[in-house]
Amino acid sequence: MLQKGLCVDCGACVGICPYFKSHAGKIAMLFSCNLPQGRCHAHCPKVELDLERITQATFGKPYDGSPLGHYSEIKKARAGARLQGRGRFQNGGSVTALIAFALKSETIAAAALTGSLGLTPVPVLATSEAEVIACAGTKYMAAPSVASVNDYLRSGIGNLGVVGTPCQIAAVAQARLNPLNKPGFRDVVALTIGLFCTWAVDTRSFGALVGDKTDACAVTAMDVPPPPASVMEITTTSASYAIPLDEIRKTIPGGCAICPDMTAELADVSVGAMEGEPTWNTLIIRSARGAALVEQAVRGGYLELADLPLASQENLARGAAGKKKRALLKAREDRLLNVDPASGRSAMLIDDSVVQRILAG
Amino acid sequence: MSQLHRAQKGSRHLLMGNEAIVRGALEAGVNVAAGYPGTPSSEIIETLAELATELNLYVEWSVNEKVALEVAAAASFAGLNALAVMKQPGLNVAADFLMQLSATGTRGPMVLIAADDPGALSSVNEGESRPYAKLMEIPLLEPGDFQEAMDMTRWAFELSGAIGNVVLLRTVTRLSHASGNVVFHELPERESVAQFQYAAGGGPLLSLPVKARHEQQQEKLRQAVALFEDSPFNTYSGPDNPEALIITSSICTLYSREAVEILGLTERVGILKLGTTWPLPNKLVERHLARADKILIVEEVRPFLEDEIKALAAESAARIGIKSFYGKRQGLMSSVGEMNPDKVVQALSHVLGLPLPNTESPYEKRVTEIAIEGAPNREGTFCAGCPHRASFWSINTALSMDNRGGFVCGDIGCYSLAATPAGFTTIKTLHSMGSGTGIASGFGKLGQFGMDQPAIAVCGDSTFFHSVLPPLINAIHNQSNLILVVLDNDGTAMTGFQPHPGSPVNAMGGGVVKVDIPAICRALGAEVVLGDPFDVEGTRRTFLKMLERTGVQVLVLRQPCALSPEKKGKKAYDMAVDEQACLGASCGCNRLCTRVFSCPGLVWDEKANHSRIDEVMCTGCGVCASICPVGAIGMKEFA
Amino acid sequence: MSAFALKHDPYNLIIAGVGGQGNVMTSRTIGNMLSELGLFVTIGDTFGASQRGGSVMSHLRISVTACYSPQIPKGGAHMVVSMEPSETIRVLRDYGNPAVQVITNTRPLYPIAVIAGRASYPNSAKMEKWIGEISAKTWYLNATAEAMKIGPPALGNVIMAGALAGTGELPLQRDVFASIIATRYPPEQARQNLAAYDFGARYVAAAAI
Repeated sequence: MLQKGLCVDCGACVGICPYFKSHAGKIAMLFSCNLPQGRCHAHCPKVELDLERITQATFGKPYDGSPLGHYSEIKKARAGARLQGRGRFQNGGSVTALIAFALKSETIAAAALTGSLGLTPVPVLATSEAEVIACAGTKYMAAPSVASVNDYLRSGIGNLGVVGTPCQIAAVAQARLNPLNKPGFRDVVALTIGLFCTWAVDTRSFGALVGDKTDACAVTAMDVPPPPASVMEITTTSASYAIPLDEIRKTIPGGCAICPDMTAELADVSVGAMEGEPTWNTLIIRSARGAALVEQAVRGGYLELADLPLASQENLARGAAGKKKRALLKAREDRLLNVDPASGRSAMLIDDSVVQRILAG
Repeated sequence: MSQLHRAQKGSRHLLMGNEAIVRGALEAGVNVAAGYPGTPSSEIIETLAELATELNLYVEWSVNEKVALEVAAAASFAGLNALAVMKQPGLNVAADFLMQLSATGTRGPMVLIAADDPGALSSVNEGESRPYAKLMEIPLLEPGDFQEAMDMTRWAFELSGAIGNVVLLRTVTRLSHASGNVVFHELPERESVAQFQYAAGGGPLLSLPVKARHEQQQEKLRQAVALFEDSPFNTYSGPDNPEALIITSSICTLYSREAVEILGLTERVGILKLGTTWPLPNKLVERHLARADKILIVEEVRPFLEDEIKALAAESAARIGIKSFYGKRQGLMSSVGEMNPDKVVQALSHVLGLPLPNTESPYEKRVTEIAIEGAPNREGTFCAGCPHRASFWSINTALSMDNRGGFVCGDIGCYSLAATPAGFTTIKTLHSMGSGTGIASGFGKLGQFGMDQPAIAVCGDSTFFHSVLPPLINAIHNQSNLILVVLDNDGTAMTGFQPHPGSPVNAMGGGVVKVDIPAICRALGAEVVLGDPFDVEGTRRTFLKMLERTGVQVLVLRQPCALSPEKKGKKAYDMAVDEQACLGASCGCNRLCTRVFSCPGLVWDEKANHSRIDEVMCTGCGVCASICPVGAIGMKEFA
Repeated sequence: MSAFALKHDPYNLIIAGVGGQGNVMTSRTIGNMLSELGLFVTIGDTFGASQRGGSVMSHLRISVTACYSPQIPKGGAHMVVSMEPSETIRVLRDYGNPAVQVITNTRPLYPIAVIAGRASYPNSAKMEKWIGEISAKTWYLNATAEAMKIGPPALGNVIMAGALAGTGELPLQRDVFASIIATRYPPEQARQNLAAYDFGARYVAAAAI
């Protein structure tokens, strides 16, 4: 997988064994391991990700290729009165709000989040509201956040909340199935919040790109404004810069190009930006436990909900369907989709009829 | 302490070839000896150094071979008996000076000993010293057994004194590091006084005017050849008119004699053994060539002797007739690897048309079968507790994590083994002493062509002084990007802990000025970081940080060699594997400790399904405790 | 000229082991004991790079008449004294013959490839059966374990030297050994060396009965 250049630095393989380490936004294999199978492969979202199996296991329903996956409700949301003015949120602050509430209500004992060290994203295991708020803000960079899930699993304490991009949530969903039937395994993941994602960037090359314009360590915020703008805005302590998206795209890991998931379809709740209203989020409620958490958070004053206009829902679905289609075409072209096991390993397994449906859509 | 200087004339001893050379030098009245350590030459300077105080010698380990030759030359210029000693690659280092020295000539007798390693038994090549005699136009002597190692060393001084130029004496591993019987001659009794006579008695030492000096140099060679014609070191044994004549020299003399004996050919084959191999005594060789039509030349590595003899035979053809030559040129014997009695038996059988002795016996077949399973390959590795294993572990894992395809340019020392799995194949280039840093200096300038792989150089402490300083200065001056890791293990460890300029003592045991490596690097303008290789996590962190920076940086990793006198036999920690904690084959680590880290002190107990400390091998360095992901390896400090 | 007649001339003896076990010292001691009697002795050692945990081997050529080369011809060993069982087999592969005699230490020292799991090391019973099969006469002893009863494990070398003396194959004399040891070591160590030598010699003598 590393050799094929598909690694998205999600961190699923980091911390399981001593062979994988993440550094400066890339996963490295320190020595060849030569074991025929391992959790590194079984958890990896880019090695034989069987969407039917994993969707069945998560929701008890088949993978049907619908643009936004299974969900019960789509709303718009933002942090409630309890959190207003307490953090610098990318959009509505809904993720921070949900995690802060989950900790407060003891739905979870800790949360696996992504923080930053300068420009470099790093896994953080947060147990307090302050730690959660410190992690607010979009990173755009691929981050090995699943590594802290692995660390947590080893600690044996239950009730972990995980916030992650679609690939990271897929990795966690796979890990929860205990694919190698390790004895004594216990599913400790009590909540998953997925982040919308169209792509992420590689830390070192992105850092070099930013470093050409300004001191990377002074960066305080990053944002990609909605079209027709085609730049990324970088804000530092003293100024702001715009980097053309064409340049940014060159730093996207290869694995992102074959990702069919824009809205983290395997999460309990998925959160993203909302078109036209930068202080609100789009919120997709998928599972029963997701729905319960959202409801309690609203009641506790942590979250504010409102109806999402139908047009926004349709736009979101169109965008997600487009990503799916592009991803499958690319995966097929690169021989990474439904490969005959005799001739190699697939990155993804999707029923042929579903593939046809997506491509026809 | 060596007793070489006590034994009396006529007494008989079992001596290593290098010790025989030392006795020869003592019998010649050597005053000053200098060298740089290198297998198989090191014992010569080591032994002389032990005797230095008692015999009023000056003996030094010089910073490198060129300086050793210069130090010895100074003694000769001052009228003393001088000796320079080095292994063959060292002669390459000294060659620049040697070319000038051979042109100016010497004053006091001066001998240069070069130790070759045919078969590369302990070298990274099997380079030859013999062609240097021809290149430098100086006489070449090659002892054929242990007695000759002593006798020819003594005579080499005499010859040098007679012709006024340096004499090259070439030995090989199988002579220097083998032992045999030697009968001693007398030791001289004389007082030596040093004085450089640059006014009277020869004038200044210059290679100018070149034409006159060069003619003078060649005249010295003619004088040497005249002496060679009657030398007792060129001997013939065998019938007057043999069916075939073997011409040989060096240790191949013994192999040739044995082959003739094994084949029962003492009445049919003659052996001309040459001790003075360049320039050849042409009259003597012509006389013996006349004995036989078939000539087999037995020598190691390149066909040096063969070419010289063929040239001579061509000149003599009108007098001695056309000969059939057998050797390396037509492929009968290989130009690669060392010689042994079996190879001579085969070649000689071919020359005389004898059936080859052994067709494969049932015993041979069976023993080969058993050995496949019963004698698993025993590749070389770092010793248990070797700091290099820990250093390369940290460097290798940091380079992997850095993920830009960084690599290490290696250098010469025990740490060269890091080109193999013993050091996780971290080293990707390996050439001569100091060249790792020079190569990295070059790589570090390739950024303008899009190269972003970090270039790392490693060197040992002794190598640092030997030849790393110029390339390091080059890198700093030319603003290259590189990290030099100095693996400072407190001595010239590979060759037996000889002191170097960073040591507080010299070869003779006296207190000297200790030259500080980090201080030098800082003074040159490099960023310098110090570290302990046994702290693998810390070293990796430090190294990763250094990889983020540009310019010339030096990381000095200090930890004495596990075999060093101060460490040997003393364990720092009592190590133990917690059998409950070690998950054995079911651990996701896939036996990282024994399969990858692979220290001889930590073994895999297949039956018990866990790792185990080998009490005899383990030195208690504690490094493996930080390798185990589940912390199953414990370390306890000794009370 | 020596007054001793040898069973073979030259008598070809190989001392084998693993780098760091003390091979060079053993071959030197045995060589000196024989040289003292006026015999011609040549010792060819392999050391240097192979010192670092590799196979090491000393060839001893013992003769009444001449200096022999430092390399025994292939298949030409008369006696192999080995500090490690797999090294015994390795030596026999190249220098063994149906008449060769062997004294072998039974304690294995695992090659790094075995430690790393790239190769396997057969069990003692199998190794001893094989060594017996490819030698005319074999003495097995756990010299390392016996040495540790007397002093440091390196005394195993001396036990092996004593065992060689015990076979009566070569004119090795205890008093010559004692005098060499006395010049090299302080009294306590010299005593341990003699005890180890005697153990080896007695062990082989007892095995002969």
